Amino acid sequence: MNKQKKISIFIIVAIIIVAALIGFNYNHDKGKTLFTASFLDVFDTKTDIVGYSDSKQEFSQQVEKIKEKLVYYNNLYDIYNDYDNINNIKTINDNAGIKPVKVDTQIINLLKYCKDIYQKTDKQVNVAMGSVLSIWHDYREEGSENPDNAKLPPMEELMEASKHTNIDDIIIDEANSTVYLKDPEMSLDVGSIGKGYAVQRVVEYAKEIGITDMLISVGGNVCAIGQKDDGSKWRLGIQNPDLESEETYSKKVEIKDACIVTSGDYQRYYTVDNVKYCHIIDPDTLMPANYFSSVSIITKDSGLADALSTSVYNMPFEEGLEFINNFDGVEAMWIFEDGSIKYSDNFEQYVVE
Amino acid sequence: MKKSKRNDIILIIVILIVALVFYIGFNYYNSINTKEPVTVVKVGDEVYGTFPLDKDVVEKIELSDGSYNILEIHNGKADITEASCPDGICVNHRAISKQNETIVCLPNKVVVEIHNGQKNDVDTITN
Amino acid sequence: MSIKKNVYLGFLIALAFVFSYIEFLVPISVGIPGAKLGLANLVILISLYTMSYKDAFVLSLIRIVLVGFTFSNMASMLYSIAGAVLSFIVMVIAKKTNFLSITGVSVLGGIFHNVGQIIMAVWVLKTPSLVFYYLPLLIVIGCLSGTVIGVLGSIVTKRIQKVAKFY
Repeated sequence: MNKQKKISIFIIVAIIIVAALIGFNYNHDKGKTLFTASFLDVFDTKTDIVGYSDSKQEFSQQVEKIKEKLVYYNNLYDIYNDYDNINNIKTINDNAGIKPVKVDTQIINLLKYCKDIYQKTDKQVNVAMGSVLSIWHDYREEGSENPDNAKLPPMEELMEASKHTNIDDIIIDEANSTVYLKDPEMSLDVGSIGKGYAVQRVVEYAKEIGITDMLISVGGNVCAIGQKDDGSKWRLGIQNPDLESEETYSKKVEIKDACIVTSGDYQRYYTVDNVKYCHIIDPDTLMPANYFSSVSIITKDSGLADALSTSVYNMPFEEGLEFINNFDGVEAMWIFEDGSIKYSDNFEQYVVE
Repeated sequence: MKKSKRNDIILIIVILIVALVFYIGFNYYNSINTKEPVTVVKVGDEVYGTFPLDKDVVEKIELSDGSYNILEIHNGKADITEASCPDGICVNHRAISKQNETIVCLPNKVVVEIHNGQKNDVDTITN
Repeated sequence: MSIKKNVYLGFLIALAFVFSYIEFLVPISVGIPGAKLGLANLVILISLYTMSYKDAFVLSLIRIVLVGFTFSNMASMLYSIAGAVLSFIVMVIAKKTNFLSITGVSVLGGIFHNVGQIIMAVWVLKTPSLVFYYLPLLIVIGCLSGTVIGVLGSIVTKRIQKVAKFY
């Protein structure tokens, strides 16, 4: 009996130790804390990172790594600034018609992706439109600084510039890792796609270094890695374009392992004769589109979401809906100037409340 | 037996008093430590200033290069009402009051954040 | 004697298990994780007064493991163990001093059951503020349930002691 008792006590103690160990791990996993970080260093916008981590220190390290990557892509895809020892998109533009520029593979990859997207979006997203966009950019800057004197760019000037927007004039030499713009008058503007593409690369990097639940938002270009620590989905607000309204968000959506990008006219615009002209330019009319206040796209790939939100913004609703339906796993939401909202076929599954 | 019964009652009374002391102490501790919602203004990575949300105030955030943003706190909400920046995104932005909401002025590198604000039911915003 | 004791032990385990099941079916929730009336503690209290400390301790652990595996998860089992062990130690000490009756011992047991759980929660969740927040309420609840259990326990124990002692 005594021996039996000893054995039974031993077994019980063993069970308890194992249970305690399992119990501790169980809690350990669920005990992560929510942290947030933000910075202004990349893509001329605010980056927010929301994530679960065991400690503040671990989270800060993750953020630093992600920031480093974002800075890397930011410098490569910049069209306005030079950086020491880096050939970026601006270097390519500066050497248009002069010589091929040796660039990082990530620029080659981006430009190949851009050419691919150009075909897929039926020529709606053209990164070779820099000549046209820079005219709008200059007039918009002028007009914002000097609202009384705000002017629209003359159509002749835009038409002239649009002659130098042939995407086939981007000569990519993968073997030598060079890019050459054949047309000396042309320039690249990756604004409609570079940010989203970079975010997607960074998300993949984050997964590689073992991050399993994080939200990365670069200027509202939001990517969700995994879901929240408690098993619920990430909840995002879609900005209400009516900035006077009490409602901050038009709709709330819940996503996991997906990206959402919104293109809208309410942030970057300028006013000429009481008419708003936003920063998104329709390649067909060379003018800012004004069908909607904003268009949001949800899909797995941030680069695609970025490109599609711009192109859909430039199309009338029916055309845009048909366009979206050509893509698998892409959903869209349109907010019209009067505040009314329309969804693509399956967008509503993401909407909450 | 009787003595131990009496001891039981003394024990229970002592315990209830201890609990009461803990309770009052905790409430007191809480009342002097309650975090009030505040607006934190950052310029770059530096904290420029902290302003309680419950006090109406108009603050001109002046930067070394002469540019500025005017922060107005009114009815528990923080707003940028005027700024020297050309794009005006910060001025157009609605007033903020909830946890994690921000107004950003990129040209001036000014960020207005809410700390200890009302719970925000979204994790971030797409715009 | 030993067969009798084993039967008694088995009977108490079954009883504790049933009490836990009742609490599982009808949870008296006060909005605090882990806080409950603790009907099963009645069984532990009785065993403390009718069996050896060693046997009573074994009973206490078996109950937790059984109930943990059956009705709850590993996490709450961890809390239960912390609460039960601390409460058991305190009850043994209190009983040995002969200063308190069974009711007083039960009150201390009830309180320290909650205290043990809180300590574990603080350790696991790393939130020390939890102590100040929950402790007063848990002390009162522990005191209340301890008193009820203690009174019940003293009645039952008296009857069992009339029949037999199992140590």
